[in-house]
Amino acid sequence: MTSIRSLAGACLAALCALAAPASAQNYPTRSITMIVPFAAGGPTDVISRIVTAHMAQTLGQSIIIENVVGAGGTTATTRAARAVNDGYTLITGHMGTHAASVPLYPKLAYHPEKDFEPIALLAGTPILILARKDFPPKDLKEFVAYVKANAEKVNAAHAGVGSVSHVSCELLNSILGIKPVGVPFNGTGPAMNALVAGQVDYMCDQIVNAVPQINAGTIKAYAIATPERNPSLPNVPTTTEAGLPAFQAQAWNAIFAPKGTSPAIIATLNAATVKALDDEAVRKRLLELGSVIPPVSARTPEALATLVKSEIAKWTPVLKPAS
Amino acid sequence: MDLFANLAHGFGVAFSPINLLMCLIGALVGTLVGVLPGIGTIATVAMLLPITFGLPPVGALIMLAGIYYGAQYGGSTTSILVNIPGEATSVVTALDGHQMAKQGRAGPALAIAAIGSFFAGCVATVLIAVLGAPLTKLALAFGPAEYFSLMVLGLIFAVVLAKGSVLKAIAMIVLGLLLSMVGSDIETGASRMAFNIPELADGLGFATVAMGVFGFAEIIRNLDFGAEMNRNLVQQKITGLMPTRKDLIDSAPAIGRGTVLGSILGILPGGGAVIASFAAYTLEKKIAKNPSRFGRGAIEGVAAPESANNAAAQTSFIPLLTLGIPPNAVMALMVGAMTIHGIVPGPQVMQKQPDLVWGMIASMWIGNLMLIIINLPLVGIWVRLLRVPYRLMFPSIVIFCAIGIYSVNNAPVDVILAGVFGLVGYWLIKHDFEPAPLLLGMVLGPLMEENLRRALLISRGDWSVFVTRPLSAVLLAIAAGLLVLAVLPSLRAKRDEVFTESES
Amino acid sequence: MADTMGHTASTTPDASTTRNTSVALGIVVLAVAPQIFELVWSLGTVVGLGAGRTPLSALAAHAMALLLAFPSIVAKTALSPDSLLALIYSYPLFAIAILTLFVKIRAPQDYIGGIVLMAVALFALWASSDLQGMHGFSFGAGTAPRMFGVLLVALGAGIALTGLLTDGAGLSHYSWRGPLFVAAAIVFFALAIRPLGLIVTAFSSFLIAAVGSYETKWIETIIVGACLTLGCAILFPYILGLPMPMFPRFLIQ
Repeated sequence: MTSIRSLAGACLAALCALAAPASAQNYPTRSITMIVPFAAGGPTDVISRIVTAHMAQTLGQSIIIENVVGAGGTTATTRAARAVNDGYTLITGHMGTHAASVPLYPKLAYHPEKDFEPIALLAGTPILILARKDFPPKDLKEFVAYVKANAEKVNAAHAGVGSVSHVSCELLNSILGIKPVGVPFNGTGPAMNALVAGQVDYMCDQIVNAVPQINAGTIKAYAIATPERNPSLPNVPTTTEAGLPAFQAQAWNAIFAPKGTSPAIIATLNAATVKALDDEAVRKRLLELGSVIPPVSARTPEALATLVKSEIAKWTPVLKPAS
Repeated sequence: MDLFANLAHGFGVAFSPINLLMCLIGALVGTLVGVLPGIGTIATVAMLLPITFGLPPVGALIMLAGIYYGAQYGGSTTSILVNIPGEATSVVTALDGHQMAKQGRAGPALAIAAIGSFFAGCVATVLIAVLGAPLTKLALAFGPAEYFSLMVLGLIFAVVLAKGSVLKAIAMIVLGLLLSMVGSDIETGASRMAFNIPELADGLGFATVAMGVFGFAEIIRNLDFGAEMNRNLVQQKITGLMPTRKDLIDSAPAIGRGTVLGSILGILPGGGAVIASFAAYTLEKKIAKNPSRFGRGAIEGVAAPESANNAAAQTSFIPLLTLGIPPNAVMALMVGAMTIHGIVPGPQVMQKQPDLVWGMIASMWIGNLMLIIINLPLVGIWVRLLRVPYRLMFPSIVIFCAIGIYSVNNAPVDVILAGVFGLVGYWLIKHDFEPAPLLLGMVLGPLMEENLRRALLISRGDWSVFVTRPLSAVLLAIAAGLLVLAVLPSLRAKRDEVFTESES
Repeated sequence: MADTMGHTASTTPDASTTRNTSVALGIVVLAVAPQIFELVWSLGTVVGLGAGRTPLSALAAHAMALLLAFPSIVAKTALSPDSLLALIYSYPLFAIAILTLFVKIRAPQDYIGGIVLMAVALFALWASSDLQGMHGFSFGAGTAPRMFGVLLVALGAGIALTGLLTDGAGLSHYSWRGPLFVAAAIVFFALAIRPLGLIVTAFSSFLIAAVGSYETKWIETIIVGACLTLGCAILFPYILGLPMPMFPRFLIQ
C-alpha cells in the first residue's frame, strides 16, 4: 500500500508542479481547508469551528473543516505534515497530536517541531480529577492518601490510549508515584458512563463533558488542574489550592501549517486568529465551554513553538515507560 | 398527568413550522443516506453538523435525529434490492429481503420493512416518553462483564442465523473476529496485524468490509457467465408492490416481537442496535414452524429485524436524554451539536431543557409518520429500478459504493481494501461460506474483546465475575442453551443442504 | 491479503477431474504466497516507488529463512520475522500439501475452503507473533488474536476434514472478466479521486467497470455514465455536503 500512496503522491506532486505557484501577496484567494484530527462535535472540533468561523470573515474566504479521525489524531496530522505548504491546508493541532504523540508512538511519521510551522494558540480545555460519587475520599488530600494506600485496588478509567484522559491520568499517576489498573474505554462517553455507574473509581477528563454530571451530583470533582478556578465550576478548587501543585494539565489546541509555509501567510493567519480571540461573541462561546483563552503574550507563533517544545519535554518522561 | 402536559408541550414545540420543516429535511436526508450504499449516518451527521451552527438548537437536533432514524428506513432498501447492507443493523435484512427480491417480491419486502419500522418507531417513542427515566437504570446496570456475556450471546445468534453448515458459520464468525483485531489494541495502543499501513491503524472499517463481501462480491458473482439468465428471470417475476393480506398476518407477530427486543436492547450503549436486529431474526427462526424457510425469502425475516433496528434507534436516545451520555457515535455527534449551541447535556437535561427533550420526543413520532408517507410510494420507484438492465446497473453500483467508502474517511486505501474484500467475498461465495456471520463477528469482536479485558482488569483476573453477576450469568445461560439447540440437530442428522446450496 | 492469494490454490479447474497433484501444487504456491507477494512488491523499490527491501535481499532472506528456519530453532538462535513466517505459515502448509497427495478428496469445495481458512489463520498467527501475550491477570495485545487464530486453524482443519469424509460439491467455475474489470475500476477510482476529482474519476471508473460485462453496449453506457456522473457531482458535494474534489487539481490551481 505504501507504494500506491507514494505513486498517488508522485502524480499529485507532478500535477501541482504544472500549476503556477500561488502567490503569498494576495493570500487567501480561495477557500482554506482546516484539518481537525478528531471527530466532529468533540472539544477540539467545537473550538476550531467557533474560531475559524470568525477567521473566515477576517480573511474573506471560507474555511472548510475536514474531520480526519484515527490513531489518536496522528493520521490527520501525518496528512497535514505532507500537505502542500501554500497556506491552504492547515491543521488544528492538539496536546495529543503535537506533544504526547512523540513518546506514545515510536513510529510517528512526523515531528511536531520539525514538520510544522506554528501559527497561533486557540484555547485550552482544563482537566479535572473526577471520581464516582460514592468514592470514599472527600477532598484532594484524602484522595491522594487513599489512592496511595489502596494502589492495588483502585481502577482508573480512560478514553483510550493517547486520549487526553489517558495521558493526563498518566501524569497524575506519575506525580503520585502509583500505578493503578487503567481501564480503557472507547471514547469519553463510555468512560463517563462507567464512572456514573460506579464501575470504575476515578478518571481525569476535560471540563466540557464533566460539568453537567458534577452539577447533577452523579460524579464528583476533586480539583481542576489549572492555575485559576473556572467560572463554570466555581466550587472546584485548583490543584494548587488543594495541595497538589505539581499536577498542571490543559488540553490546548492550536493552529499549525505544514513546514515551509511563507512567513507572510503565517502572519496573516496569526493576525486573523488573534482577532477572533478578541471578539466578544467568540470569547463568550469559548467561555461557555469552560475553555481558557490564552493571554495576549501567548498568542504569537514563537510562543506556540515554545509551548510545543515544553509540552514534548513534559510528556516524554511520563509516557515513555507506558508505551 | 405530568406526562401528558410534557407531551403536549413537546408537540407544541415540534409542530412549529420551522421544526416541522427540519423534521422533514431530516427524514428525507436520512432516507437518502440510508439508500446510498456506503454513506453512513455517522459521516452524514458529521458533515451536516456545521449547517446546524446557524439553526436554532431544537430544530437542529430534530433534524439530526431525523437523519439517524430515517437512515434505518432507507438502510433496508439496498439490502433488499441489491444485497448491500449500508449499516451493520441491516445485514440481517439482506438475508431474506434479497431472496424475496429475487423471487419478484421486492415490493412487499420493502413495504413490510417500512411498516414494521413505523410501528416500532411509534411504540419506542411512547416508551421513551413513559419509561425513559426508569429504563436508564438498565444502561447503568450493564458493566463490562454483562457486555461480554451479551456479546457471546450475540455471536451465538450469528451461528443460529446461518442457513448452511454450522461449522462453516462458526469459522466465518471466527474469521470476522480475527479481522476485527486488526488495528490498535485498546489497552496498550500496540498496532496489531496492521503491517505499518497507516489506514489500518484504526482497523478495518465496517463499511469497507461490508461493501466488499456483500456489494462488490455480489456484482462480480452476477457477472459470471450464465448468471444473466437468472437476472432476466427476476425481472419477469416482479409481482405486486404491496404486501398481501397473508404477508401482513404472517409478519404482524414478528413486528411485535422485533419491537420489544429492539426497544430493550437499544437502551444499551454500544452494540445494542446491531444485536437487536439479529436477536429478532434468530428469535423468529427459532419459533417458526418451518425454520428452513428462513434465508429463502421469509417475510418475517425482514419484518422482525427491521422493526427491531428502528425500535433500537429510537430507544438509544434514552441514555442521551436521561443521563446526558451518548451511547453511540451518532449520539456523540448530537452531543457535539448541542455543545456548539452551548447546551451540554447532562442528567438534568430533561428539567433544564424541556423544549429540547420533549420537542425531540414528539418530533420522533411526527418523523416516523413522515417517513412512512415518504417510503411507501418510493417502493414503486425502487422496484422499477430492478427493471434497469444489469449491464447499466452494476457499474452504477460500483461507483456509488466507491464514493460511499471513500467518503467515510476520505481515504483512497479504504476503496482498494473494499475491492480486495470483494474478491475475498467472491471466493467465499464459491466455497459456500456465508458473509453475514463474518460481518457480525467483525462488529461484535471488538466489543467482546474489550469488555472481556475490562471485566478481567476490574476483577483482577477473576473469571468468576461472568457467572457471579446475575445479569451476566443469565445471558451466558441463554447463550449456552441456544448453542445446544443450534448444534444438536446438525449433529443428529447430517444435513444434505450442501447439494441444494450451490445457488445461495 | 492471504485470502486473495487463495485464488491461486482454488482456481484449479473442474471438480470431477481435480487431481490431487494440482491441489497439492496449489497449496505449495499458497504456502509461499506471502513471500512471493513481498518479492513482487519489492520490485517497486527498483523503480523508486515505496519503501522496503530490494528484490534481491528479500529473495535471499526468504530463501534462507525457508531453508534454515528449522535448524535455527534447534540451535535456539533468535528468529527473524522471515524465519517465523516460514515456521508458522509455510512449513505447516507444506506438510498439508504433502498430505494432500495421499488422501482422497471427496468434497473439493470444502477441502480447499478449509485449507485456505487455515492458511489465513496461520498468517494471522504469524502477524500477531510480535505482540505481547498475557501479563499477570491482564490480556496482552496478542492474546485475543492468537486465541482466535488457533481456533480458526482448528475450524479450518475441521472443514477440510469434512471434505475428506463426506461427499460434497466440487469447485465452482471462476470467470476472470468480471472480477478483473470491477477490481480495475475500483483501483482506478482509489488512485484518481484525489488528483483528478470526482467527475473524471467517476466517469472513467464507470466505463472501466462496464468492460466487465459481455452485454455492454457502448453508446448507452456512455450516455448513462455521463448522466450518473452529473448526478453524483450534484448529489454528493452539494446535497450531502461531502468534501470531495470535483475537478482535476491542476485545473483548479
